[in-house]
Amino acid sequence: MSKMLKKIAEPSFTVIGYVILFTLFAYVLTPLAWLFVTAFSATGSPYLEIPKEVTLDNFIRIFTEQHTKGIAGYAAHPIYMSRWIANSLFIGFATMIITIVLSAPAGYALSRLDFRGKDLLMTAILLIGFMPMTAKMLPLYRLGKLLGLIDNLLGTAIVIASGTIPTQIWIIKGFFDHIPREIEEQAWICGCGHLMTLFKVVLPAAGPGLAIVAFLSFLSGWGNFIVPLIMIYSEDLYPISLGLASIFVHNPGEIGLAIDYGSACALSVIYTIPPICIYFAFREHLMKIKLGKIEVR
Amino acid sequence: MALVGKKFLHYNFVGLKNYIKALSDSYFWISMKVTLYYCLASLALRFLLGLAAAFYITSKAFKGKGVMAAIFLLPYIIPGAIHSYVWLSMLEPDYGTVNRVLRALNLPPQSWTYERLTESIIAVNCWAGYALAMLVLASALTSIPKEYYEISDIYGASRWFKFRKITLPLIKYPLILTLILIFKEDIDDFTYAYMFTGETPYPDYKTELISLYAYHKAFSDFELGFGCAVGFIIAIIVFVLTLLQLKMSEVRG
Repeated sequence: MSKMLKKIAEPSFTVIGYVILFTLFAYVLTPLAWLFVTAFSATGSPYLEIPKEVTLDNFIRIFTEQHTKGIAGYAAHPIYMSRWIANSLFIGFATMIITIVLSAPAGYALSRLDFRGKDLLMTAILLIGFMPMTAKMLPLYRLGKLLGLIDNLLGTAIVIASGTIPTQIWIIKGFFDHIPREIEEQAWICGCGHLMTLFKVVLPAAGPGLAIVAFLSFLSGWGNFIVPLIMIYSEDLYPISLGLASIFVHNPGEIGLAIDYGSACALSVIYTIPPICIYFAFREHLMKIKLGKIEVR
Repeated sequence: MALVGKKFLHYNFVGLKNYIKALSDSYFWISMKVTLYYCLASLALRFLLGLAAAFYITSKAFKGKGVMAAIFLLPYIIPGAIHSYVWLSMLEPDYGTVNRVLRALNLPPQSWTYERLTESIIAVNCWAGYALAMLVLASALTSIPKEYYEISDIYGASRWFKFRKITLPLIKYPLILTLILIFKEDIDDFTYAYMFTGETPYPDYKTELISLYAYHKAFSDFELGFGCAVGFIIAIIVFVLTLLQLKMSEVRG
């Protein structure tokens, strides 16, 4: 009896497995397929259809045609959408540089020096890194206004970096912990000071690790939505995320066929390229970091 | 910030007034309820989808696991602003793909972006975030020694038995860790709710997530102190969860 049950049960397991797999694939891929197809089709539409002709028009339009629609209530003058790409790049690279410059020395100090209250400091840094955005949002806005960082790309990058630095310090410290101390001692014998050792010996040895940190912080600047939302008001300075939101944020009932889906999709295809490249180049390391195993080997 | 009044430079200390105001505000509790519904529903869905996907990308039966893992990972990688707008167009009431499919199946189309807003946001959040559970659980599943399964095969154990007696106990801690991680992420989700609702709140705040409520209170009604108090209440919840998470990872390793 149980054998017969098994004979029926095992294949039906497999069938159910394939059905679930198919549903999962449909759920995951349909929106992405729409995004990709619409970016290359001549008639942008909110539903998935096979395009009649494949064009690169949408991509060309981003760089040549001026875009006029703004968030309702803000008067907008026409600008190029490609401007948003440049802004996003700027925010990304600025975040990257600020994060590296500030968190590499901090990570080095935490890895090599012993001082009182070090454990407490490490835990505090970790907890600050886990602070929810909802709680940080308003104080950051107020502080930014006080310091004149509102409506300023560099200011936005500074604020984003303040959110990424705590985690990055932990990651960098993990990298430094795996560099043998003997190399440094060698350098000291040859007459290097602490700073000289850091720049000439330790940083080159930690190169791959630093690259990962750099790319991660670039991504958090590139993909950030909330910080630009509260910090940036003029449409000239929008990063891509805010630009897309300004196309799509609607009052109920307003959305429809009026939106230029083609160029929005083209813009977001461009927007996805750097994250996808970075993820697939560093997949193994990034998975470990995402899993909370902050020490990377 | 939450302790002071509306102005930062010319502030007056108001003590716990903002907290008392927040906790006695009926809309605060409505949006708390919405947030709880949102968190629990997306916790369950993200977790189950992630578990299913993790089984697929670690099982031996399916070919092309690497490609599959890459595809399953895609929604998690792309920036958050894209998630919400792709789904805004998928769920568009008149022309969107979802309603077209519903009509083709003779089911009543829904006004997703208005009446079923919370459900829509849950769908987006699950789509974007199930890969986190998938990653954690997949790494836990691959770390189970194969010998355990081989031995149970010799004794003729069924799949369900193997799952219950071998797999589940061995991935118990990663499971709990995943649940905490997901809950922490969801409770201060902002982007999707913002993109679906817009600058102005819906009447009666009936679909506001708590983070969006804080934002609207601060930037539409200019009650910064109130918004900060709400934000700080969230921070306390997340803080407790973080301590729990750190404890869990200590237990595990």
